[in-house]
Amino acid sequence: MQNAIHQLLDSANQIILGKPHQVRLALCCLLARGHLLIEDIPGVGKTTLAHTLAKLLGLHYQRIQFTSDILPADILGACVFDTKNHEFKFHPGPVFNQMVLADEINRATPKAQSALLEAMEERQVTVEGKTYPLPQPFFVIATQNPSHQIGTFPLPESQLDRFLMRIELGYPDHHAERQLLIGQSRHKLCESLPVQLPPEQLQAIQQAVTQVYVSDALLDYCQAIIKFTRDSSEYHCGLSPRAGLALLTAAKAWAFMDQRDAVIPEDLQAVLAAVAGHRLRAGNTQSEAIIAPILANVAVH
Amino acid sequence: MKIFGSVGVVLMMKPELDKNIAIFLLSSIGLIVLPHVYHMPIAVFGFFCLLLVWRFIGIWKQHWLPGKLVILLLTSFGIALLYNQHQGIFGRDAGTNLFITALGLKLLEIKTERDLYLSNYLAFIVAASQFLYEQSILMAAYILLVCCVLLATLVYINSSKAKTLGALKSAAIIIGQALPIAVALFILFPRVDAPRWMLFNDTHQARVGLSDSMEPGSISDLSMSDELVFRVKFDGAVPTPQQRYWRGPVLSHTDGKRWTQTTFNKPLRRPVVTGTAYQYTILMEPQDKNWVFALDMPIVFASPLSQNSGYQLTTLNSPEQRAEYKVSSYADYNTGPINRSEYNAATQLPGEPSDKIKQLVAQLHGFDSAADTFINQLLNHFRVEDFHYTLTPPVMDENPVESFLFKTRYGFCSHYASAFVYLMRVAHVPARVVTGYQGGELNKVGDFLEIRQADAHAWAEVWLESRGWVRVDPTAAIAPERIERNINLNRQTVYGFEAKNSPAYHWLRQAGQLWRSVDYNWQRWVINYDNKSQSNFLSAFGINDLKTLAYWMIVVIAAITAVLCWFMFYRKANAADKVLMIYNRFSKKLAKHGLVRNTGEGVKDFAARVKIKLPEQATEIDQITAVFIKLRYGRNASGEDLQRLKTLVGLFKA
Repeated sequence: MQNAIHQLLDSANQIILGKPHQVRLALCCLLARGHLLIEDIPGVGKTTLAHTLAKLLGLHYQRIQFTSDILPADILGACVFDTKNHEFKFHPGPVFNQMVLADEINRATPKAQSALLEAMEERQVTVEGKTYPLPQPFFVIATQNPSHQIGTFPLPESQLDRFLMRIELGYPDHHAERQLLIGQSRHKLCESLPVQLPPEQLQAIQQAVTQVYVSDALLDYCQAIIKFTRDSSEYHCGLSPRAGLALLTAAKAWAFMDQRDAVIPEDLQAVLAAVAGHRLRAGNTQSEAIIAPILANVAVH
Repeated sequence: MKIFGSVGVVLMMKPELDKNIAIFLLSSIGLIVLPHVYHMPIAVFGFFCLLLVWRFIGIWKQHWLPGKLVILLLTSFGIALLYNQHQGIFGRDAGTNLFITALGLKLLEIKTERDLYLSNYLAFIVAASQFLYEQSILMAAYILLVCCVLLATLVYINSSKAKTLGALKSAAIIIGQALPIAVALFILFPRVDAPRWMLFNDTHQARVGLSDSMEPGSISDLSMSDELVFRVKFDGAVPTPQQRYWRGPVLSHTDGKRWTQTTFNKPLRRPVVTGTAYQYTILMEPQDKNWVFALDMPIVFASPLSQNSGYQLTTLNSPEQRAEYKVSSYADYNTGPINRSEYNAATQLPGEPSDKIKQLVAQLHGFDSAADTFINQLLNHFRVEDFHYTLTPPVMDENPVESFLFKTRYGFCSHYASAFVYLMRVAHVPARVVTGYQGGELNKVGDFLEIRQADAHAWAEVWLESRGWVRVDPTAAIAPERIERNINLNRQTVYGFEAKNSPAYHWLRQAGQLWRSVDYNWQRWVINYDNKSQSNFLSAFGINDLKTLAYWMIVVIAAITAVLCWFMFYRKANAADKVLMIYNRFSKKLAKHGLVRNTGEGVKDFAARVKIKLPEQATEIDQITAVFIKLRYGRNASGEDLQRLKTLVGLFKA
C-alpha cells in the first residue's frame, strides 16, 4: 500500500510541477475521507490537480463550473416528467460522481453553495422527498478565487468548516515554471495517466488510517494547540472540537503516509496549516502565517 | 444556603439513580445484619427482616411505604419487643438489638440524602457490633467485605456517573489504603479492657467440656465433638503421643458409680523432677471452668495460674475469655510420699467389695504381691481376656464396675480407668482417676498441637512407695493405638472409616492444617493482643509511656499518609516521566554544542537539525529519536525499549 502511495505521489508530481507538499496534503485529505478546498488565483493548476488525482485513483470525475446563476437542481439533479411512462423521473445531477470538482465555488449564490455543501456532509441527496445515496467513495474538491475579486460570494465560516483542508497552490518557482513552459500540455498528460490506486485499495487505506495509534502524549499536544487558539488574542475565535477531530484525522493520514503506525507531533504540525488556517481566519489565504504563532508557542513535550 | 444546597442535590438525583442507591444501601445493610441471626432473638430478627423487605418493596412501589403514624406504631412495637426480649436496653445483646431495630425503622423513612448517610453510618456501627460476638478471621474478612459494600454505597451517592463495579472498586481501594493506618492504630493505640457493663445481663453460651465428675460412659458425649479446647505451641521438641497427657481434674471419691473430686489436706509439695523440661504456650479456648490443661507434670508456671493438690492447674482469670499461658513440664517426676488424708481419699471404697471382685484380685495376686506386680497382672488381664474397646458400650446396671468386669467387657477409657482404680483400691493400693485430654493433633504447618473435645480421656494414677503418683493408662493396654499412634479411634469407630491414603484426602488434611495454623496465629497475635501483650511488644521498641506512644503514633501515621500521598500523586506519571527524563539527559548533552530544541519543535525535526551539525553521530541520534518516539507516542512500547533508550543515551557522546 505504501508503495502505491509513493508511486501515486511520483506520478502526480510529474504533472503538478514544484508543489510536492501541496500534492501530498491533497492526497492526505482524501485518505482521511475529507473534502478539499483549493484557494488561489485562476491559472495556477487547481483544476489540473483535481483531475490528476481523479485519474490516478480511477474515480468517476465530474466538474461543475459554478456561476452566479447556477441553481441547486443544476448540481443535484431534478425530477423530469416522462411522457412515455406518465411519471416523474429523477435525473441525477453532476454531484453523483465519485470525485466532483466544484470550480470557483464562491462565484455561486449561497443557495447553490449550500446545496453542494449539504450533499458533502450527508453523502446523500434528497429531492422531492426521496433520498438518493451518493457513490462511494465521494470526494469534493472545491476551488475558490480569493474573495477580494469581483463577483464573489465568500463561503461563511460554518461552511468552510465542512472542508477538512484548505490549501493554496501559489505560483510555481522558476525551475518548475520553465519545465511547464517547455513540456507538453498538462491536459494531454493527464489523459494518459494510469490508475495507481483503485477505489477498493483506497478504501482499505482509509480504513487503515483510522487504526493509526494516538498516544496520550500526542493528545496532550493536540489539546494544548486547541487551548492556545482559544486563549490567545491572535485569533478571533479558537478551534472547535470538530476542528480538533479534523486535526487528528488528518494527522493520522499523514502519519500513515509517512509509514508510521502512531502519530507524532510533527504530523500534527505538518497538517496544521491546511486544517486550521481556514477555520481560524477565513478571509486570509496565508495559512502558514496564521498558524505560525501556534508552532512557535505551544511546546512539544 | 446550606438547606438550599441539600435540596438542590435531592432534586438533582435522578429517579433511577436514587433507585440504584437504595438497592445498594439496602443490600449492604441486609448483609451486615445477616450474621447477627446466630445470637439475636428470632422475633427481633424477624421484625428487622419485615422492615427491610418493606423498604425493598418501597423502592418500586413508593406509595406502599408507611406514613408517620404507622412508623410511630412500628417504633412502639419495636420498643415493646425489645423490652419483652431483654427487660431493658443495657448490655451487649440488648444494645445490639436496639441498634438493629432502630436501623430497620430508619430505613422506612429515608427521604433525603441526609437519611442515606445516617443509615449508612448506623450500618457501620452494626457491622462493628458483630465483633462483640465473634472475632474469627472469617468473620473479620466478612465484615471487611460488607464494609466495602457500605463504602461503595457512599461512593455511589457522591459520584455523578456511578457504576456498580466502579464504586466497589473505589471502595476496595479506599479500604486497601486505610488498612496500613488501621494496622498502625491497632498496634499503637492504647488498649482498654472492655467495660463490665457490656457483659451485663447477657445469656451465657452453654459449652460442652469435661465435667468435675465422671461416670462410666460420661466422656463419650465428647468423643464426637470436633470443638477445639486448647492449642499448644512447644518451644523445643514436641513430646511423643504416649507422653501427651493433659492433666485435668483428679477424681478420688466414688460411690460405686460416680467419681467426684474430694478435698484432702495436703500441703502442695513440689515433685522432684529429672530430665529436660518441655516449655510450651497453651492457648485456651473459652471454657466454662477455670481449668488449664497442662502436660503431666507442670512445674514452672506464673500467676494467674495455680496448682491444686491434685497437681491440676487452675487460673484466676475468667475462663470465658481466650487466654494464653506459659508452662514448663517434666515427663519424669516423683511426687514423693503422701499423708494420711490423701491416703484415705485414695483408698476410699463405697462399701465392702463383692466376693467375685475379691476373688479376681486374689487371682491376680492383688493381696500377696507388690503393687507393681499386681498392676502388670491386671493390665495383662485386660489384654488377654475378652475385653473390647468401644464407644457404644451396653448400658450398665446398678454395679457398673462388676458388670463391666464380668459381664459386658465392652467399654472405653472411663470404664477401664474406673474399674482399674476400683480393683487397685480393693488391693489396698492408693489409686485415683485422672481426667483430661490425651494426644492432640500436630499441625505441621504451624508446628503446634490442637486438642479437641474428642481427645478427652480418663486414666488412672497409682501411688507407689518409691515413685510417688505414677500414671497408669489401662486403655493403652486394651487399645494401644488410641494412645500411641494418636489416631482418634473414637471418631473412627463411630464413623466407621479408616484413614484414607488417597492424595485428595492427604491434600485436604494439609489444607485443613494450614487453615487452622492461620487461625491459631490470628487468635494469638490479633485477638489476644491485649493491654499486656501490647506493653510487652511496645517496650521492645523502647516505648514505655503514653507520651512516647503518642509521638510514635503520630510519626507512623504521618509516614503512612505520606507514602500513600506519594503513590497517589506520582505513581501514574512515573513511567512517562522516566522516558522524558532520559531524553532530557540527551538534550543536555546536545546543549553543550548549542543545540537546543525550540519550544514548538518535535523531536524528529530536532534530530534532523542536529544531524546537520553532528553528521558523524547521525546513526546514534536517529536511534535515540526512534526509540523515544516509540516510547512516547508508540502503540506498544516495552520496558526493554526504556532500557534501550537508557543505554543509548548513556553511550551517546556529544
